[in-house]
Amino acid sequence: MVKLPQSETKKLLAIHGWSGVLLGLLLYAVICTGVAAVFEDEIKDWSSALPTRAAAEFPAGLDAAMRRVAAETDPHFLHDLSIWPAGGGRLNLLFHTHETDAKGRPVERGVEYELDGNTMQTVARREGRLDDLGSARRSSALADFLVELHVRLHLPNPYGLFLTGVLGLVMMIAAVTGFLIHRHLIKELFTLRRRRDRLLTARDAHVVAGTWNLPFAFILAFTGSFFSFASAFALPAMAMVAFGGDRDRMFETLIGRTVAEDSRAAAPADLDAVLRDVRQRAGEEPTFISIEHYGRVDAAITLFMEPKRGELTPISYVYSGASGAFLQDKPLLGLQPSFGGQLYALIGPLHFGNFAGPLSKAVWFALGFAGAYVTLTGLLLWTQRRAGQPAWRRMGIVVHWVGYGLPLALLACPYGYFIAVASGADAITAQAIAFLGVAALTFAAVLLLRRHDAIQRAALLASGAAMLGMPLLRLVCGGLGWSSALRAGIVVVPAVDLALLSAALICLLLAARSIRSARALPVREVRAAGWAPGA
Amino acid sequence: MTAAETVLPAASFARRRFWLRTLLAGPLAFAAAALLMLGGTAWLPAGRAQIDNLVLPVVLFPLIWTALFLYALLDARLLRAYGVIVALLALHGALIATRLWK
Repeated sequence: MVKLPQSETKKLLAIHGWSGVLLGLLLYAVICTGVAAVFEDEIKDWSSALPTRAAAEFPAGLDAAMRRVAAETDPHFLHDLSIWPAGGGRLNLLFHTHETDAKGRPVERGVEYELDGNTMQTVARREGRLDDLGSARRSSALADFLVELHVRLHLPNPYGLFLTGVLGLVMMIAAVTGFLIHRHLIKELFTLRRRRDRLLTARDAHVVAGTWNLPFAFILAFTGSFFSFASAFALPAMAMVAFGGDRDRMFETLIGRTVAEDSRAAAPADLDAVLRDVRQRAGEEPTFISIEHYGRVDAAITLFMEPKRGELTPISYVYSGASGAFLQDKPLLGLQPSFGGQLYALIGPLHFGNFAGPLSKAVWFALGFAGAYVTLTGLLLWTQRRAGQPAWRRMGIVVHWVGYGLPLALLACPYGYFIAVASGADAITAQAIAFLGVAALTFAAVLLLRRHDAIQRAALLASGAAMLGMPLLRLVCGGLGWSSALRAGIVVVPAVDLALLSAALICLLLAARSIRSARALPVREVRAAGWAPGA
Repeated sequence: MTAAETVLPAASFARRRFWLRTLLAGPLAFAAAALLMLGGTAWLPAGRAQIDNLVLPVVLFPLIWTALFLYALLDARLLRAYGVIVALLALHGALIATRLWK
């Protein structure tokens, strides 16, 4: 139980409410997309699975493929190389170099190859600035759309990151003040009064979900605002103050240099042999490979690994990029373990929930879903209590539109994506059109339906129908069938289809229950549940 | 003195305090958190890996800002809150200036 004077509690309650109301809708968008983005890898696999799958994510034969695409690449870009599994059984190889633009600002440009991880054939090739390459990846476009909305709300850098950083801070304020204003914390974890007063029941549901979710909301807000601010503002400012504006020197200090500079040319080491060695040493599979100074004597291959069993933070292994000799294992930051490095290494697993495979991801999904529910119900409570004032009534319309329209608009994206892929159209544009089109339609529906319960029911019905049709559409548009997927060992395809069908069923059952209870209520009471005048 | 004359200055005073509080909790608290983060590199210990003074302030920046924001809003004495935050700004601003002009 938190004991505070009444005046302090009032102040905190005002801060809690206003922090949510001012930026709550944007925060809701970030949370909703974040919930889906927990399964980013699974969405990539599900939406664009290649028909066959290699046994390992970095299969044997990668070395030959790397040399082949290096020979096809302008030597200007053969400076650094990043290799990572791109979803659907693909491997991305990105050769890139540091440049400055016309205004003297640092930019990175490169050439990216998308390979079929089984055949090692090039599926796609892209060239340009790294910022632009990310938005041109068609195979992972569906997951990328969600992640972009989550990370920077599709705004240009650094403004989008800065805004989501501020949203993270707002969520932290709401979580901290939410904790402090609870006068009976334990009691409120279990208090749900189901009486005929709908507002009281809704308030209780908000408090119960919010109270259970408080620690998680705090962790997500803290780690999320760190990610946004670190790249948008903190690291560039740190480079300016502590390293005289030299970003390369700052990253070298933070990450740690293991090989002394030597720019003489040298044949690259056998990457397949390095992969065999690291698997033996670590007992885990790499998640990302970075090769600095490709084709030079001072080349260094860093392999980022999954955390070992029972551990939260991963370590990386460094090899000579010229001889292939093992050099050392190290934390993500610095050359030896440190408090700061450990703290930094914890932030990723805590934000993404990927520390214990699908189980922790499922828990993070559920807690994130509860966070979205708390944000939406908080906004609904705030606007419904003030529905007598015209300005808050208009705000109520917007809250209903975003609250129920955003999930529907997100569910429309796969429709745009699959139809575009099947018809040869641009998938990135198609899913954006589907998103905006459904957003516009839901706005019209909110204005038409006017009543909270009717809007909620329509949203449940439409969401259920959208998820029910999605696996079918994927199949019709040339997606992998269940039997082919299972034969190739691609379990994620039927798993996501089944998850969608289950979620659809839940939505439709909830909608049916809502319809039954609406029929049971007297007409006068149904009308009283509305937020709009005359509803 | 009429009732209107006594009420108006009080309302105006409250409005002024509201905006002063908003200025302190918004831009000033954010600037203080940012300078504390950057200035912290000068006085935090570097640790075994020589990176703690660089990593900790960046990682803890959201917590620093949240603490300063809530303090700026909750301290009953507005002048004292201004004193604390302006002192943090000045101290870390000076630390950063000495590093930039070294």
